[in-house]
Amino acid sequence: MKNEPDSTNFLRWFDPRNRNLGTLAFILNRITALGLTLYLFLHLIVLGTLARGPEAYDGFIKLAKTPVILFGETLVIAAGIIHGLNGIRIALNSFGIGTRYQRQIFIGLMVIAAGCIAIFVKSMFFSH
Amino acid sequence: MYTSSKKPQEGTFLWLLKIVAGLLIIIILGIHFYVNHLVAPGGLLSYSDVLAYYQNPIIPIMEIIFLVFVVTHALLGLRSIVLDLNPSQVVLRWINIGFGLIGVFAIAYGTWLVLFVAAKGSGA
Repeated sequence: MKNEPDSTNFLRWFDPRNRNLGTLAFILNRITALGLTLYLFLHLIVLGTLARGPEAYDGFIKLAKTPVILFGETLVIAAGIIHGLNGIRIALNSFGIGTRYQRQIFIGLMVIAAGCIAIFVKSMFFSH
Repeated sequence: MYTSSKKPQEGTFLWLLKIVAGLLIIIILGIHFYVNHLVAPGGLLSYSDVLAYYQNPIIPIMEIIFLVFVVTHALLGLRSIVLDLNPSQVVLRWINIGFGLIGVFAIAYGTWLVLFVAAKGSGA
């Protein structure tokens, strides 16, 4: 039996068992959306340190370069890339473009996403 | 597979706005990620780097447009997720008011911050 998202049970979105590719794409879109929205508002709050002068902001940047925060930043970048590329497929399909090939488009875009994420990981962790 | 089909309570305009905003965000977010995580020495811009970056007049304009679209897309997307949970009309009305207020406050605060940084860098 397919484990489809259920509008009456929010927690089923996070259950990865017996999913087809389409449902996984749907869940991926939702989870990255929630994570990015949370990050967006945290980002706005943290950027408020810019108004408090160089000591406050550069102090935050020093903290942001620690491995734990960098790992969190990497997750945000990965979520942004995955959500953005998956979003292109959703937008195209919403206008009736490529609907017959959306499975292949999704796989192709996720391969591109993996490549982009690898470039950012290399740059953020191994180039400085 | 999942497509962003319009929900009965979403309205065509909001559904279209969410999709168009999403596509615009991809372009500006690409620039944002590139500048802040690939180009910046050490991976992130320092205070003086941010001030210098904002002296290009295109950057504050781009960041404010980005802010408006990203907040709009995020809140419309969040509302769309809430609609999947079939809220009552009363709950939805409060969510609309709450999300509207959050959006206006976030855009106002972010715009002020962008203008503050741009002015600080120019010595105004």
